[in-house]
Amino acid sequence: MTQSLTPTEHVTLNMGPQHPSTHGVLRLELQLEGEVIIGCRPIIGYLHRGIEKIAEARTYPQVVPYTDRLDYLSSASNNMAYVQAVEKLLGVEAPERAKFLRVVLLELNRIASHLVFIATFANDLAATTVFLYGIRERELIMDLFEMWAGARLTQSWIRIGGVGQDIPDGFVERAREFCRMLPGRLDEYDRLLTGNRIFRARTEGVGILPREMGIDYGASGPTLRGSGVSFDIRRVEPYEAYPALDFEVAVQPACDCMARYLVRMKEMRESVRIIEQCLRQLPAGEVMAKVPRAIRPPAGEAYGRVESPRGDFGCYVVSDGSAQPARVHFRAPSFIHLGALPRMLQGWKIGDVVAILGSIDIVLGEVDR
Amino acid sequence: MLEALQSQFGEAIISAEQVGRELRLRVSANRIQDIARCCKEKGFAYPADITATDTGTELHVVYRLMRLETDEQIVISVPVSRTGGRLPSLCGVFAGAEWPEREVYDLFGVRFDGHPDLRRILLTDDWEGHPLLKTSRT
Repeated sequence: MTQSLTPTEHVTLNMGPQHPSTHGVLRLELQLEGEVIIGCRPIIGYLHRGIEKIAEARTYPQVVPYTDRLDYLSSASNNMAYVQAVEKLLGVEAPERAKFLRVVLLELNRIASHLVFIATFANDLAATTVFLYGIRERELIMDLFEMWAGARLTQSWIRIGGVGQDIPDGFVERAREFCRMLPGRLDEYDRLLTGNRIFRARTEGVGILPREMGIDYGASGPTLRGSGVSFDIRRVEPYEAYPALDFEVAVQPACDCMARYLVRMKEMRESVRIIEQCLRQLPAGEVMAKVPRAIRPPAGEAYGRVESPRGDFGCYVVSDGSAQPARVHFRAPSFIHLGALPRMLQGWKIGDVVAILGSIDIVLGEVDR
Repeated sequence: MLEALQSQFGEAIISAEQVGRELRLRVSANRIQDIARCCKEKGFAYPADITATDTGTELHVVYRLMRLETDEQIVISVPVSRTGGRLPSLCGVFAGAEWPEREVYDLFGVRFDGHPDLRRILLTDDWEGHPLLKTSRT
């Protein structure tokens, strides 16, 4: 008896660039065999503004606001990496008070960014309530930024030599109030989400990034720490006030989406501890070092790197001795993680894409630059 | 680390300089794969960054490798022709080389031999030229 076989065809599915779960303009060209992903080509560049080229035609201080627009959920980290490289070239060090204030700003940015992660990750997995809660708490941080820097998102507040201005009256009290409030709210998320059966089914054992593969790709931040690697720039190459501060590096061994989520949850609690320590130990004094009006660093190169909410954020600056940088390059962790995504998606089902993509928490602003 | 590399690769290491925790090497293009593989075997297993820089007269591809446990870094700079330059790809050494090499190709025009999928990445496929070269208009 002859049997008629239905031929199997692979289907190509375009996810994005206007898909709500791609968190910006990203297109994933998925190759499917039934529901199973057998290939993925991320198409990026929709948000490319040529920031690295623009920087070559700007003076050193003029580059700072451009860096805000890379990882726009954590503009202070970008400022910091660039400013760190320029300060190395100049041989300038920020005053002690500025170092602590920078850490306050960086850690508030980290919490704000992780809150957006929790919010959107939960929302992608159909837990809409958590989205509203995450954004609610983040709003309080935005208010703190507005109070201090005048801007809520793109603060440009870490400047060459220090920070824009000292904190205004009442800031410390409001920041402390926020630090007292947040842990209770995180407990609430834990109750809503961490033990939730649906959430766990969607994240546990899903999107495995083995430890060795993570290192081989150059993964970092919560993405690598969720694969059991205790790698944190704040610890390995401490900058600003971090050597004086006590905090734990969050690590999870499971290598899955859940592990990456748990790392970020723990990190927010640690950030609260860091901010409280900074406010307690805040030294008196200036917030801006003496920096020449016309900044012309001697010819040479320097590399600034910070632990951004997404991972190892680097900035490579080459000076030719003129008032404009000869080359500025940003090493964006989201770009690196997106490069590893095709391997992470291999063999998972189409429904898992939003969970796996969400778990690496990309920001297309820094991917496309 | 430097002695080990120098004894193994000799002439291929054009110059070496220790700046803080960074070991800065200038290396000739034909041995870059072997040198990178050797660094990886000696614990510099984290490809922190691959990029390039154009001075207007010289183009260098810059690799930054790191040991995860410490802050030691090896920064390898490889001179390459500004027009139609070619380098061996490091994709066989580090999985993470694939996208950064595509970026260097896209923005500087350096071709990486042995790269599995060398296409433009940030710019559109029909873009002409390589904008981060100094000869490209600002």
